[in-house]
Amino acid sequence: VLVYLARRVAYGFATVIGVLLLLFALFFLYASPTEMARRAVGDKAPPEALAQWIHNHGYDRPRLWNPEHPLDTLLVDHFRRMLSFDFGRSDADDSPISGQLRRRMLPSLMVTVPLFVAGLVISVGLALFVAYFRETYIDRAGVVLCVLAMSVSILLYIIGGQYLVGKVLRWFPISGFDPTPALVARFLALPWVVGLLGSVGGDVRFYRTVFVEETGRVMLQHVLRNAMIQILTRVVVQIPFLFTGALLLESFFGIPGLGSMTVDAINGNDFSTLRVMVFIGTVLFVLGQIATDVGYTLVDPRVRLE
Amino acid sequence: MSARRLAACAIAALAAALACSNDPYPSEDARVAVRYSVLPGPPKTLDPAVSYSALDHQITANVYESLLEYDYLLRPYTLIPGLARAVPVRRDLPGGRVAYRFDLRPGMLYQEDPCFALGGAGRGTREIVAEDVAFELMRIADPAVTSPVGATFAKIVGFEAFAARLQQLRDSRPDFSALRIDRQYAEAGGIEGLRVDPPYGLEVVLAEPYPQILYWFAMPFTTPVAWEAVAFYDGQGGRPFFRDHAVGSGAFRVEEYAKHFRIALARNENWYGIRHPDWHAPGATYPSRGEPQDAGDGLLDPATVGRPLPFLERLEFRIEKEAIASFNKFLQGYYDTSAVLQESFDKVIQEGRLSPEMAARGMQLEKAVGLDVSYIGFNMNDPVVGAPAGERGRRLRAALSLAVDAREFLRIFSNGLGLPAQSPLPPGIFGFDPDYANPYRQPDLDRARELLREAGYPQGLDPTTGQPLHLSFDLGDTSTRGRLRFQYFVDEWSRLGVDVEIAATTYNQFQEKVRKGAYQLFLWGWVADYPDPENFLFLLWGPMSQSSSGGPNTANFSNRRYDALFLEMKNRENDPRRLRIIREMRAILERQCPWIPISHSETYTLYQPWMRNVKPAALSYPQAKYQDVDAAERARLRTAWNRPVVWPAWVLAAAAVVLVAPGVVTYFRERQ
Repeated sequence: VLVYLARRVAYGFATVIGVLLLLFALFFLYASPTEMARRAVGDKAPPEALAQWIHNHGYDRPRLWNPEHPLDTLLVDHFRRMLSFDFGRSDADDSPISGQLRRRMLPSLMVTVPLFVAGLVISVGLALFVAYFRETYIDRAGVVLCVLAMSVSILLYIIGGQYLVGKVLRWFPISGFDPTPALVARFLALPWVVGLLGSVGGDVRFYRTVFVEETGRVMLQHVLRNAMIQILTRVVVQIPFLFTGALLLESFFGIPGLGSMTVDAINGNDFSTLRVMVFIGTVLFVLGQIATDVGYTLVDPRVRLE
Repeated sequence: MSARRLAACAIAALAAALACSNDPYPSEDARVAVRYSVLPGPPKTLDPAVSYSALDHQITANVYESLLEYDYLLRPYTLIPGLARAVPVRRDLPGGRVAYRFDLRPGMLYQEDPCFALGGAGRGTREIVAEDVAFELMRIADPAVTSPVGATFAKIVGFEAFAARLQQLRDSRPDFSALRIDRQYAEAGGIEGLRVDPPYGLEVVLAEPYPQILYWFAMPFTTPVAWEAVAFYDGQGGRPFFRDHAVGSGAFRVEEYAKHFRIALARNENWYGIRHPDWHAPGATYPSRGEPQDAGDGLLDPATVGRPLPFLERLEFRIEKEAIASFNKFLQGYYDTSAVLQESFDKVIQEGRLSPEMAARGMQLEKAVGLDVSYIGFNMNDPVVGAPAGERGRRLRAALSLAVDAREFLRIFSNGLGLPAQSPLPPGIFGFDPDYANPYRQPDLDRARELLREAGYPQGLDPTTGQPLHLSFDLGDTSTRGRLRFQYFVDEWSRLGVDVEIAATTYNQFQEKVRKGAYQLFLWGWVADYPDPENFLFLLWGPMSQSSSGGPNTANFSNRRYDALFLEMKNRENDPRRLRIIREMRAILERQCPWIPISHSETYTLYQPWMRNVKPAALSYPQAKYQDVDAAERARLRTAWNRPVVWPAWVLAAAAVVLVAPGVVTYFRERQ
């Protein structure tokens, strides 16, 4: 078991290293520091101010090879920083990235965790319900509604939700965020509903298939137990990404989480932030994969890690 | 059991959420004089030495007060004293140097902040002194601060020498950077041209006359900054950086800075205007004079004139990147001011006025023309379109200018907003002449074809190749929207038979091309830093040309007469002689056509009916302290505009029951 785990971790590590190399190639060999400097200092800044910015941020060092100090290159620095989780400062506003990650994780979790839990409960519940009433009109109506929900783009839910619920019905604020307890549910209600609409359709179809395959109309706990392995595969992989936030929901609803942080970094040529987000995403993905494998053995004794 | 309790909790939470309204603010603020506005993104920095965007200035201009300010109502823009007692007058020194002496008002305090304990345990604030202005100017010189305006202040005697000494000390002594920042500056010897006369006097000595320096003292760059704030907020030990933590001298102070969603400014009880209304200082009293139409616009209400500032309790900013969402919240009454959303322009504005629907809501519309100009420039070093082509080149440029219809361009691309430009100078700048019509800027294709023929390109054909004349239009914008705009000009020119090719590159590559001089036509713009014609006409001054000095004269225009006139105009007061010089410079530009002036931007701003004393301005300066809201009226209208529509919730619930119930009932009946 340990050997298997060690091998799995080694594969994961290799993946991370590969992604880091790719990131370096993309950001440091392709992008120009001048462009970054201009975004940070402003369009009107004279060339001297740009040069000063580049120097202050160390982007004027050799990229790959420094004959005098072999370790003082951007490449070495890139790996050292990422692998030691010392993320440095944002190119856009010089704020420490790890501090930003901490601050912006909470709003993301506020969006994604309830969405994840409610999504799981609702879709498993609905799937059991339609599986239970399979071959009746309820099941068929379920198919129609689910396929309908799946085929509509999340963007349409977002804009439609903002228009209908926020503007026409005036139930919730159109967008925005406020972490105070009295207001937070008011702001998050609409993103939650929209997120559910976007994910429930597919999930219900998937779980229904799993349940129907497992048994006929038998006792629910048996069905659930046997279907657990498929549910686990689908669910555990998602858990790490609760931390990285929801890109579209956050940016359209103006929620200051990690998802909108990523979008901001893309829009603002903020490579030092973007590489951290990609790196963290990769690490979490690898961890999720390993966790899923371990999870299999826990629910199904037939599976062994070898 | 616990599952049931959990479900009960969830239902309770949902019910609470449903019972709530769409009001994004805490209910206790409903009747407080708070101004709500939206920022399209987070500020880059609150460091006054660095922040250089209109967005950042919405915060910094209200938090950091400058020595001078602009009169709130008068146009053209007029300087008034801010923290200084008076607007200084120039004193000529030997050797062509000039000096300006500022005297701060005694007894002014910074906002409360823990950083002042550095100057003595238990201290929460301290007096604002002239040394603090010198400190801020040294910060602008400090290479580690990366201020974008160092070049401007390099006119101060000894400015660059100070920067060099500082850098040298940091490079040569490893322990030097660990010194407290004010000690570093002191060890580097300070700036020779800044003579502090403690505690309140500061004389600024310039190496050459530069009257426009006073405008820079009306910008947040030159605000007094306490060394304690810079030393304390160093990002260590859980303290934020100074760039994220303002310690200011203005009418408002930063109360909350969650810069990715909420920024709140509250009244600064230490502000001199609040502590000393008896001073009736110009920067702390509502003005009594304005433009002729201001009285009619309610800006000179006798109940307001002469009253001490500020009127607002708090300024609330929300960061919203999605313009549609924020405009809809404005329409619901949750923001007090908004630009007109491009997508709903026709719904809101009809024939340049508010639509009947908006007018019925009591909305106020303010139009303002920006202190800017966008233009198509010719590279005057180019052998075809530039000066080497002599009179042929001039006629070619004039012909291309005559073919461009700026009014139509604005109609297509900006809902008709914008003023077709006749010269570099926009309205609001001394020397702007509303009656002036540049003969080459009145679209006339026949005349353009004639000029083209005279230039030796009949029907746009290049006689050397027999093909249509081929020119390249260089731009640093690869977006589709950008491309469409440029295509408009290319289509206009193709009607003359001239073949203009768009060479779209990234902004960076474009700059590189400009640096190398490998370009013919380009579209660019300029936004003024201060309201003086010098800040526009220097863009065509020979010694500032891109090719010879890397300066902002990207057209590389060089004309001996123009250059001489510029020098004379630059240092003059706004007198009739200056006006005559500007007219002559304009005539040179008209004849030589180094630019095709396209437009001056125009913005329409909407204000809710409850906003008071609003006057749009094209410059960043503290405006919030003059504004006011009628909070009771706002609360009333918001309630009226936002009654929730509840019945669809019941319909949905009923539909779900109707869909599911029969199946369940039949099923159980079958099983029995």
